[in-house]
Amino acid sequence: MSRVLHAYSAILPLLALAACGGGEKPAATDSASSSGPQATSGATTGTAAVSGAQIAVAHAGPPGEWQMPAGDYASSRYSQLASITPQNAANLKVAWAFSTGVLRGHEGQPLVVGNTMYVVTPYPNVSYAIDLAQTGQPLKWKFRPQNDQQAIGRACCDVVNRGAAYADGKIFYNLLDGHTVAIDATTGNQVWRTKMGDLSRGETITMAPIVVKGKVIVGSSGGEMGVRGWIAALDAATGKEVWRAYNIGPDRDVKVGPRFKTFYAHDRGKDLGATSWPGDTWKTGGGAVWGWLSYDPALNLIYHGTSNPGPWNENQRTGDNKWTASILARDADTGEIVWALQVTPHDMWDYDAVNENILVDLPIKGQTRKVLVHFDRNGFAYTVDRATGEILLAEPFVPMNWSTGIDLSTGRPKVVETKKTAQDKNVKDICPSLEGGKNQQPAAFSPQTGLFYVPTNNLCMDFQARAVTYIAGTPFIGGNAPEKGGPGGYRGEFIAWDATTGKKIWGIKEPYPVWGGALATAGGVVFYGTLDGWFKAVDARSGKVLWQFKVGSGVVGNPVTYTGPDGKQYVAIYAGIGGDMGLLIAGDVAANLPFDVRERGTTLPDIAKWTSWGGELFVFSL
Amino acid sequence: MRHRIGGLTLILIAAGVAAACRNNAGASADTSTVGRSASSTSSTSPEQSAESHLLVAGDSLRLIEHPENLPAGFPLQIKPLPIKNPYEGDKAAIASGAQLFVGYNCLDCHGADGSGAMGPSFQDGRWHFGGSPGDVFESIYQGRPDGMPAWGGRISNEQIWMLTAYVRSLSSKDLSTENFSGKTVERTGH
Repeated sequence: MSRVLHAYSAILPLLALAACGGGEKPAATDSASSSGPQATSGATTGTAAVSGAQIAVAHAGPPGEWQMPAGDYASSRYSQLASITPQNAANLKVAWAFSTGVLRGHEGQPLVVGNTMYVVTPYPNVSYAIDLAQTGQPLKWKFRPQNDQQAIGRACCDVVNRGAAYADGKIFYNLLDGHTVAIDATTGNQVWRTKMGDLSRGETITMAPIVVKGKVIVGSSGGEMGVRGWIAALDAATGKEVWRAYNIGPDRDVKVGPRFKTFYAHDRGKDLGATSWPGDTWKTGGGAVWGWLSYDPALNLIYHGTSNPGPWNENQRTGDNKWTASILARDADTGEIVWALQVTPHDMWDYDAVNENILVDLPIKGQTRKVLVHFDRNGFAYTVDRATGEILLAEPFVPMNWSTGIDLSTGRPKVVETKKTAQDKNVKDICPSLEGGKNQQPAAFSPQTGLFYVPTNNLCMDFQARAVTYIAGTPFIGGNAPEKGGPGGYRGEFIAWDATTGKKIWGIKEPYPVWGGALATAGGVVFYGTLDGWFKAVDARSGKVLWQFKVGSGVVGNPVTYTGPDGKQYVAIYAGIGGDMGLLIAGDVAANLPFDVRERGTTLPDIAKWTSWGGELFVFSL
Repeated sequence: MRHRIGGLTLILIAAGVAAACRNNAGASADTSTVGRSASSTSSTSPEQSAESHLLVAGDSLRLIEHPENLPAGFPLQIKPLPIKNPYEGDKAAIASGAQLFVGYNCLDCHGADGSGAMGPSFQDGRWHFGGSPGDVFESIYQGRPDGMPAWGGRISNEQIWMLTAYVRSLSSKDLSTENFSGKTVERTGH
């Protein structure tokens, strides 16, 4: 497949209006006003654009469809649909809604292929094919997989599923109990089912696969269970495993070969995935692949992040702990590792690096650079050369205090001594918290503005590490990390980010962490949902909120847009609070369980006042 | 308050099964008591308990096979026979249970002080699989279908009883009404 650049993105060489001047000060010095939960605080508006920016890979399928988790291999979450504009967005209305029949956190997004929408639920991972061409949206089929119930208690952070991928007439997705399934998109029949994860060792699967050249690429969760992280490829036709690469351990298992070339000298050497750990500790060292995948067809490279090292207690694993908390580039055919960038060496704050890598071509210092842009849990936004792994730029995108910046000569963060965690110490007020400046909620990119639209968290934590014993199938954590709101009196912000300069252009402060993803559209409207259940349309240039609707439950899912059989543009979003933020942190939001009533958490003490559980798809149109 | 693991817990784990009790002097006597209770628990399923009640009532096997023959007014026994925890309310055993709760990684599933995390809360006095000492022992011993591992045979029955005593001691904070004015707890995320 050849790399196709969007023609339209070149047609819009927008003036770079006050690229920096209009933006806010860096987040760390923000003086945000406190906003109550009922307030949807106004945007600090700035107007800016980066001209000449392009998405690296074309949208998958026709512009009116959504065939991949992020719409394209580049993870841009950008759609060329342009009927909904800043001028008419105020007229958006609910077109229809659909209960998924499942509570718990609805991360992920539906797919739209032809006139069919595909929805995958959290555990038990039921999938639905919804006929968009008929009034009332009847089901074409419903698939209820065999899915081991034990998985519920082995998943660290709610029983979420981040969606399916479509290719070759099949829907591919992962089951919480460690299986990958292929379903005939027309009939709903299971074509194959392959066990990929070992539940008895705490391997569950929550991530959304992508399909690359006839291979389904998957990875597992379990960074909190002492798994040994891997990524694997299955034959899309047969379900047979084609390759599997571990992220930690000896070179042979990690698939380090002659092509492996890291940009920074200290990241070169033999068997670093084992020797940067004491003894055999790498065998239970985490480094799971539970986040989003990207693919550059021109370089034939898959980009993925790896999770935190295990356990959280850093005393039990001195060294860099490669390749946890890293961004890895692997050959799509073989899994061979081509470059690696460990963004948080020897992580001691639970800063997974699994967030999406958005593949774009950006004008940087007068040159067009082929980059990936990555908003890490650790609070830095990285602009990285995607052929080599060189960091071109890394700036904080949220309030932070654990590091004073990235040393661009080594690629390593400069760590603040007093924010280092240690066994039997209670280190106070570390920002961002372990939920990160951003977590699984994926950002979007618009070539029209050249800006990234990023849902963020503003939380801090105290961190108490303690010794922990590995017991297979139980958490391997060794730490408590109670969280609280970050500086400024808000707990989340939806921001527009210029990755060529590393600056925030505008931001919409939210009372709660923005745990749902973003969607950018050619109509100049950006969409996102909030934890307290508001679904919003925002002007991509100014950050002005154009429209909002209170959906049935808090939003932790990602909007998609498609063209209906009637030719109209629709926007779809899951409601359904949950995930790590909605389930574990919010606590008593789980009021549907009569045998599990919890005290409210201090982090989000009144989120349950605004929303409760419920899995529902909402679809909007003009 | 949060539990901190001390050197003691690690020693407890390292020492493994038998030496877990701090009162080693009484260990043999304790063990025999605990052993009896435990074996009667593990070999008595709820079905068997129900059956034994019917036997008391007389002619039960036939009644079970032919439920339509149940005489009118026959009391249907739904509660299992009460099983006593030898450590129920024993402060020292509860303290040991608290340490085991950390040492066996129960804390990271069920939350600090059992406030709820991946697994359910123990503070609310509400129980998915029953809250009697026997029920809680069984949950720990056999595991439960939605992810609770089975600890029977992996740790001693004495330790399971201590965990049972500790877990039951946590239940004091039921909140049937939430009006957003009550207290909050520090939660740890993953």
